[in-house]
Amino acid sequence: MVDDWAAGATIGGIAIPSLPDMARLRADRHAKLQGQLEAQGVDGLVLLGSAGVAYATGADAPGEDSGRAGLFRSVAIVVRGDSAPHLYTAFWDGVPAELPPDHVHGPLFPDLDDGFGNFVEALHGHFPSGAQLGVDEQTHPMLRSLGHFQWIDASSVLGAAKILKTPDEVSAIREAQRITEQAMDTVRQALRPGLRQTDLSGIFLRRIFELGATANAIDPIWQVMTPTRAEGPWTSHGDLAYPTSTTDRILREGDIIWVDAGICHRGYASDFGRTWITTAHPSPTERQTSHFTRWRSVVDAARDILKPGVSALELGRAAIAANDGVKPWMEHFYLAHGIGTDSAEMPLIGTDLGDDFDASLIMGPGMVLVFEPVIWDEGYAGYRSEDIVAVTDTGWVRLSGLRYDPFEVAA
Amino acid sequence: MTGVGVMALEDSDRVDFTRLRLERRRRLLAAMESAGLDVLVLGRPNDVRYAAGARTLWRTGANPFAPMCVVVARTGRVHLLSTWDDGIPPEIGHDDLYGLFWNPAHLIAALAGIPGLTEARRVGTDSLTPFFGQVLADLIPALELVDASGILADVRAEKTADELACIETALTLAEAGLAALDEALEPGMTEQALLGVYVEAVSRLGAPTPPSESVVFATPRQGPVRYRYLATDRLINKGELVVLSPGALYAGYEAGVGRTRTAGAVASVSALALRDRCRRAVDALLAACRPGLSGADLYGAWESTGEPPAEIALAHGVGLGAESPMVGFGRGADAPLLEGAILSVQAFVSQEGTGGFFERELVRIEDAGPVVLSRSER
Repeated sequence: MVDDWAAGATIGGIAIPSLPDMARLRADRHAKLQGQLEAQGVDGLVLLGSAGVAYATGADAPGEDSGRAGLFRSVAIVVRGDSAPHLYTAFWDGVPAELPPDHVHGPLFPDLDDGFGNFVEALHGHFPSGAQLGVDEQTHPMLRSLGHFQWIDASSVLGAAKILKTPDEVSAIREAQRITEQAMDTVRQALRPGLRQTDLSGIFLRRIFELGATANAIDPIWQVMTPTRAEGPWTSHGDLAYPTSTTDRILREGDIIWVDAGICHRGYASDFGRTWITTAHPSPTERQTSHFTRWRSVVDAARDILKPGVSALELGRAAIAANDGVKPWMEHFYLAHGIGTDSAEMPLIGTDLGDDFDASLIMGPGMVLVFEPVIWDEGYAGYRSEDIVAVTDTGWVRLSGLRYDPFEVAA
Repeated sequence: MTGVGVMALEDSDRVDFTRLRLERRRRLLAAMESAGLDVLVLGRPNDVRYAAGARTLWRTGANPFAPMCVVVARTGRVHLLSTWDDGIPPEIGHDDLYGLFWNPAHLIAALAGIPGLTEARRVGTDSLTPFFGQVLADLIPALELVDASGILADVRAEKTADELACIETALTLAEAGLAALDEALEPGMTEQALLGVYVEAVSRLGAPTPPSESVVFATPRQGPVRYRYLATDRLINKGELVVLSPGALYAGYEAGVGRTRTAGAVASVSALALRDRCRRAVDALLAACRPGLSGADLYGAWESTGEPPAEIALAHGVGLGAESPMVGFGRGADAPLLEGAILSVQAFVSQEGTGGFFERELVRIEDAGPVVLSRSER
């Protein structure tokens, strides 16, 4: 069943589809990259990172530990003016169907000196010496053998292309989020004292694959929050330590856990954050409910003013005002972050980039925001969830679900 | 010998992690000294794990380089990017941690505060970006940038007894994953559902971050057969050969095992012939896993079986994840096979009309010959 969740909302005058058209999505992304290469006078891109390759080519790859993912990495090469990206990969079954056969090649192994001549040859086939190329990582064989190209960070081209999502991209993020939330429903129903954090991971990961996810993205987090900051781990800034990694810790009655997890589906990340209470029959205290209510009002305050033209600084100030002047997010994070082929990308709102940066960061149709404010009540822990919206031509549309069990949204 | 398990025992920690970390640090500093390195700046998660021994948040995939860890030879200190001390071993003090920043100016200021960094000369990195190349050049006036990836590969290649214990634990978890797959496999399931069974099994044993999610694929009995990487919603049919290659990570150390099963039926005569071909190839590769030989000998062993060129790697090292040597895709012929190294050795063969057959074994290279560590029923 296809539900019309976007209800006619548009980005650049185009309605957000219920489900993404992946071939159209890839074509639009390639056009955006080409537009940025042209506008910035860059001759091409050489991408080695998983997220960059996924963005440039749309190729799927199995989820892997960094060592394996690095050694057997796919490489994307985008040539300015070309009609399609070049993909060098071992994962032939993840290659998009429409990619022309002369743009699909075997893997390059840019981490190895052995056979590096293939990489040099490939680059010379695409670019003249001296070409200005954007790159996301330079291995030492690359540093040694490719000095006759002019290397710059790919982030200026990638960042400019990625920050505004197409309607299909927004739909793809929503699809990844939907799978994640369905899997989390199963986990939340299973949550009981006596389970280990890693048991919850097992339930979640099994379910995402049953639901068709392409890959898991991070080790799911089920952090037990202490009532005070001081009882938690030491931090360099004195604020909360979050997120800390999952162990075989056994959950106990009443443990307040801050959940954070994300998958990668057809190249797009999801981000699920909620606060749960470990018990068979959760009934939040009045104080806990007040944390949730305040969290809701902080998100609502930012969203009430969210539309194209509003600055990140204005959104941050609205959130702070709704929390009685106290900044409702952690020192090392943000009020909100973007999401796409990376799990956290621009726009970032409220980081240490500072007020001037935030004032210059203006919301536009196609930006995606993951709001993740934190309400902290020293002595009583607090509440944290994540709400995802996409900025549309006239306002915003919600990409995440409305369930916050065991807390209820007031009608 | 307490056997393999993941719980601490009152008389034994099973793996002495303190000794493991301190020995790794000692080896790394010794390697820096012999290479004349003043500072190491590391960004690859498994290199960082080797140097710091911290239990940080696991993320999938290959992420671009950032200076996650700085090792200073003069002070012997290991500095790590972490805002908190959860997961940080006691030998890394609060003063050794630098926080997570979004503003590069703040990160640069934190790096500048690391004692011994700015006055360093020879600085090794395991990778780089144009931006961080410039940052290092700005911070370190006398900078001589050195490729440290080979130094890291060398210290990681030779395994301590504690590292071997971690790999054996990971292998045991991977084999438990295989047992769960064997139990669950039946016609009518999707590959994705079977992948889910595996990942839940290893998660419940405490290892929720598989080295790879490329673990399950059914091979067709009609048309060409290729090794596939992505689990799909395709239904597994009765009588099909199904490739199972579960792995596990324990304290970052990787192991895996590969087997092929017939779904819901006994193996056909042609499947048995395919199995024999696969085993001949695996056994030939295993026989060539001897100190003093090289990747070329593995290629030679493969060719001696008469199989067509392999479509997957023949072997790669394991330790903190997949490591060098990587022998496959035409690479690694010159890579020496060293005594003490652990290799993942694998073969995939196929026959149109029958399907594909895959096996993967974990082997330790010893002077007396190869020692196969995997024990799952073949």
